[in-house]
Amino acid sequence: MPVNAEKEITKLWRNLHNAQSEICKTFYRWREVAIEVAGPDVKPLDIALKAAEMMGKDMGKNFLPRLNWLKGEETFMMNLGRALAGIWVTEGGTAMADKGENPGEVLIRCTRCPWPTAAKEFGVPMEEVALTRERLFQTILEDVNVFFNINLKIEMLKAIPRGEGEYLLKLYKEN
Amino acid sequence: MAKVLFEWDYSSYPGAKAYPNLFKPIQMGNLMVPNRIKYAATEDNLNDHNGFITDADVAYMRSRAEGVVGGLCFMQGVYMDEAGKGQGYVGQAGCWDDKYVEGLKRIADAIHGEKAIAGFQLMDCGRVGAVEVESGHGPSTVPQRLRIFKPMFEMTNAEVKEMVQQHVDAAKRGVEAGFDVIEISGIVGYLISNFLSSYTNRRTDEYGGDIRGRCQSMVEIIQGVKEVCGPDIPVGIRLCSEELLNDVKGNTPEESMETYKIAEEAGADYISCTLGWQESIFPVISRDIPQGNWLYLAKRAKENVKIPIQMAYRLFTPDKPDKAVADGELDIWEICRSMIADPLMPKKVLEGREDEVRHCVACNLCLARLFRDAPMTCYINPRCAHEHDENFTPKPTEEEKEIMIVGAGPAGMECAYVAAQRGHEVHVYDKIGEVGGTILDASRAPYGDEELMTCVNYQKTMCEKAGVEFHLGEEVTEQLIADEMPDTVVLATGPVYPVIGGSEDRDDVVNVLDVLSGKAQVGETVVVYGNRKPGIGVALFLAKQGKKVTIVGKEKSAGFDINPSFKWRYMIYLKQNGVMAYNDCDIEELNDGEIIVKTYDGYRFPVKCDTVVVSEREANESLKKIVQAEGIELFVIGDALVPRNLSSAVHDGYRIGLRI
Repeated sequence: MPVNAEKEITKLWRNLHNAQSEICKTFYRWREVAIEVAGPDVKPLDIALKAAEMMGKDMGKNFLPRLNWLKGEETFMMNLGRALAGIWVTEGGTAMADKGENPGEVLIRCTRCPWPTAAKEFGVPMEEVALTRERLFQTILEDVNVFFNINLKIEMLKAIPRGEGEYLLKLYKEN
Repeated sequence: MAKVLFEWDYSSYPGAKAYPNLFKPIQMGNLMVPNRIKYAATEDNLNDHNGFITDADVAYMRSRAEGVVGGLCFMQGVYMDEAGKGQGYVGQAGCWDDKYVEGLKRIADAIHGEKAIAGFQLMDCGRVGAVEVESGHGPSTVPQRLRIFKPMFEMTNAEVKEMVQQHVDAAKRGVEAGFDVIEISGIVGYLISNFLSSYTNRRTDEYGGDIRGRCQSMVEIIQGVKEVCGPDIPVGIRLCSEELLNDVKGNTPEESMETYKIAEEAGADYISCTLGWQESIFPVISRDIPQGNWLYLAKRAKENVKIPIQMAYRLFTPDKPDKAVADGELDIWEICRSMIADPLMPKKVLEGREDEVRHCVACNLCLARLFRDAPMTCYINPRCAHEHDENFTPKPTEEEKEIMIVGAGPAGMECAYVAAQRGHEVHVYDKIGEVGGTILDASRAPYGDEELMTCVNYQKTMCEKAGVEFHLGEEVTEQLIADEMPDTVVLATGPVYPVIGGSEDRDDVVNVLDVLSGKAQVGETVVVYGNRKPGIGVALFLAKQGKKVTIVGKEKSAGFDINPSFKWRYMIYLKQNGVMAYNDCDIEELNDGEIIVKTYDGYRFPVKCDTVVVSEREANESLKKIVQAEGIELFVIGDALVPRNLSSAVHDGYRIGLRI
């Protein structure tokens, strides 16, 4: 039976997108559970930030075997930026890393992000979405910094949930 | 005058004439070592989980002690802290209390029983420790690169001093147990190496900073251990000559050599020269590294220090170390995996029985097992770690049988010589005119697979010496079985290859062995069907000829049957050679110039190809019913039973050879 490429790709794409949208929804379902279990004294934002820290810590571990200082600082930074952008892509976003204005600076730009849409469905404040994203990336860097004995920072300059049209994060080395 | 523990005279042995430099004495500290051979300390996971020595470990060590023919024989490194942070292996021997001395004495006695020099090693596993507890310790809190290892935390200054004392106390127990040499392990990611390395030591107290500061704990340990050992017990240390950690800002080679000089200054009587860490991204001991590749590091070490230098690392045969000793590049040949594969290897060399050596094939199964909390085993030595077990020891048969073995591959030949040694009359048949079976062709795969033939060569020698009769070029048929009517038939015929594409006569479908042997013509665009080791081997073989190769296989990941300690190499080679692998997939259709691949979840896509190379294998049922119908005792072994690997073939053959 000949392969119908259009049919195969459509089927594959649909299933991929379903799986991607489940990533955000699963997180917000667990957020609701955690809020209920934690009780009224704990702020939902604190729970979300704690979750971002734990996830970031674990994701950071995956970065360590893949980064290589031998390739030079510029390549190292760009590879790290691409890996961070890759997290968004896996989740169904559109993101890329580019050189920044200053040497050793990388800009990570995300123009399509699935998180705000999912957050709306679950009644999550938009500012929480932005802060959670920022915390996730910052925590990823913690282990990378200790492991390579460097001091990298990441700063969120723009965020879609803040109505700024895109995410823009600056990855840079603090002297 | 240097102390002599046991008198050895090698002058009448052929091996001492062939390799005169390996069988001449050397002074190490105040101890005279009669030869240049050392069984290097190797974890075996044979002891109990509380660190007490078992019968299995004593027997394991005794056989290695016999092998070194008077040389150095080191037991595995012991951990020294009650908390178990330094314990890196579930069966690692403990030495943090006097209660361990009795068991350790059994090992020392077993080694002395073979007139060998007993070595004791102190090994806090540091960064790769804490196997039974939640977290480990180290000079600084540096995250783990490999998830297999536990998180580790910075030791306080007082804890570092306590650790130094633990080494000294353990050394004292080793001396009390009767050991003759004490060695400190400072390699591959263990605690001392963590202190030495700029990658893992970021301390600002006296145990960190520049290379001298990072060496401070090592210096205190050497000096403390020397003090309890006295003048007659040499104290050595194993140190990395290169960490191969440049990608994470580890020590430079110059800094590593500085650690050697500092160790010598501190009083070390010898240095065992190693390289690489478990976290290094460069291969060091896998089969793709040529033999003798690292000898230049021993030479460099000798240029930097005056004390004896020892080295293992891809030195499997005596010729290279013998020459290195003669050339002044090495003092003592350390042997590790080669004596796991054949504990009597140096003894056989000495006695002129080199052809009886079962050579290590550098598969690293032994190491892979240790990291997965399993007892030591060897890919090609079925008796390894079963030295104490009567059930693994060949015994003379009570009923002599005539045995027909069909297939002169590794399964058949292993079975043949074991059965023949036990007193059976053994005939081995093979339809082709030479021995080796599948390995004959499999050993043509690139990246060191030619070393697999050493197993076949060993088995052939053993068969010949045991009186096995070969009938090569003779195919076993129903008529032959009826004519011979043996008491037992062992089918070791190797696997069969499934027919794909609906016909056996297709020119564009060939099997892996025909490709490797050059019998089959292969196009420029090839699909290899099967993503286990045979598929990967032939894919690389073809890719290196410039062909475009795609692997399609049913296993979830390519090479799942390869030891993890080696598999990563193959994954890199596939990438380097541009081989694409579609895993968790099957070939649904075979069309003209393409195949249709179907994924496990039903997606279909075409892949262009001129030739399909089948490396998937199936059990071989031929002759089984014929033998059963004659009422003859039947055994099926190796790939004929279930297609697996060389190791399974050898182990199957050995076990059935013992049972018949």
